[in-house]
Amino acid sequence: MGLWNNKNQKNSYDTCFNGSDLIITNYLTDGLLVFDKNNRLFLINPQGQNLLDVTKDESIGKSVLELTRFEKFEPLIDFLGAGLVEHSKQEVKIGDNQIFEVTSVHIKAGQERISTLVILHDITREKMADAMKSEFVTLAAHQLRTPISGIKWSLQILLDGDLGALNEEQKKIVEEAFKTNNKVINLINDLLNVAEIEEGRYLNKVTLSDMREILLGVIEDYKQELEKKNISVDFLEPKDVLPKVMLDTHKIKIAITNIFDNAVRYTPQGGKITVSVMGYKEEVEVKIEDTGIGIPVAQQEKIFTKFFRSTNVRKVDTEGTGLGLYITKNIVEAHDGKIWFESEQDKGTAVHFVIPIKKNYGQFLTSDFY
Amino acid sequence: MKKILVIEDDKFLRELISQKILKEGYDIAEAVDGEKGIEAVKNEKPDLVLLDLILPGIDGFEVLARIKADPSIAQIPVIILSNLGQKDDIEKGIKMGAIDYMIKAHFTPGEIIAKVRTILK
Repeated sequence: MGLWNNKNQKNSYDTCFNGSDLIITNYLTDGLLVFDKNNRLFLINPQGQNLLDVTKDESIGKSVLELTRFEKFEPLIDFLGAGLVEHSKQEVKIGDNQIFEVTSVHIKAGQERISTLVILHDITREKMADAMKSEFVTLAAHQLRTPISGIKWSLQILLDGDLGALNEEQKKIVEEAFKTNNKVINLINDLLNVAEIEEGRYLNKVTLSDMREILLGVIEDYKQELEKKNISVDFLEPKDVLPKVMLDTHKIKIAITNIFDNAVRYTPQGGKITVSVMGYKEEVEVKIEDTGIGIPVAQQEKIFTKFFRSTNVRKVDTEGTGLGLYITKNIVEAHDGKIWFESEQDKGTAVHFVIPIKKNYGQFLTSDFY
Repeated sequence: MKKILVIEDDKFLRELISQKILKEGYDIAEAVDGEKGIEAVKNEKPDLVLLDLILPGIDGFEVLARIKADPSIAQIPVIILSNLGQKDDIEKGIKMGAIDYMIKAHFTPGEIIAKVRTILK
């Protein structure tokens, strides 16, 4: 087989394929399109014709512009551009209900581009299954909230003494039940957040906001907890005015709360947390540093994955859901930001994230993308 | 005595909140679905409505829409008390004229009553 050899140069929209290569393409399960150096369609395999709803005869030899007349070609060409730019595994929505993962590659002889390969991988079904899974989680979580509310309310009524005063022992056990029930409520909230992330519609209202205010708000929320554990908090801010950034403030608050909650939870009595916010030319950075138990080196690479909890953390505290930092990372990345950390066991952890000031929102943010 | 109407299909939750409301010195009316809820708003003329959203038959949003569309009852304050907590739902409820939106799992009966009290002041 002469893959990629250059001898078959008869027709005007020539590429670099010979006969046996073309036969192979008939059997691919992905759609394959080959454009010649003038961006005219040279080859479209049967699966490609199927996916794009065109026949070979009506499409071969057509220019990119001419192809946009076909309904399903249009969004594809829109995505690739008239110059057929290279992409790797990008999701493209075709019509109302199809999603392809599109890869485009330039084939070159020396410096010259002699053809462009476009591979269409149909992921409609996977996307549908994903959406159904998220919907299921959302539905289940909402359904769980009703009985959980019933438990919360009845325990509170007992604690309020509405049905007669409780003795110390009774009160203690009902309080424990109330706390345990609240853990379930938190877990349900986390599950809802995760489902929302995975549905890809994560940011709601993005407005020009002050990161400083959000940070101070979170610290304020933990006032009691900090006093109880005798943990001091230093807040470091720039002398100059901090630039405002485009944020979904509600979501960023969840992200910061998750980081701060870890810092409080895993820092022993009398420890210290330092929260810093820094403004740079192109981004705002937040750093939350603690003197806590740290993350074992061997487990550091996993800390942003779903349901992960490090071994030392599990001993200190059984409450965490292992979803907090996963959610945080997704929120930061939805803002086109980056998150990272340094940690040493028994010394402490510093989590940093940056959010760009001027930004180009990615597809992730377009709520109607899917 | 001020009267509060609870529109809630879950028997246990309805009883818990009603009990608390009575204890706080308010009069109470109950409805178990959307249809009966609208009737109760018209007949009982409550001073405030606690409205669940997921109800058999016509849902809470529809109940809210019908309350707000009827001038004789449109001024009655409605607090949505639901476990739907997505931002879309909350915004929709407020936009349709609910005075507040509380997620059941996040509030205790005491906190709900405190909200009722501020609104009825």
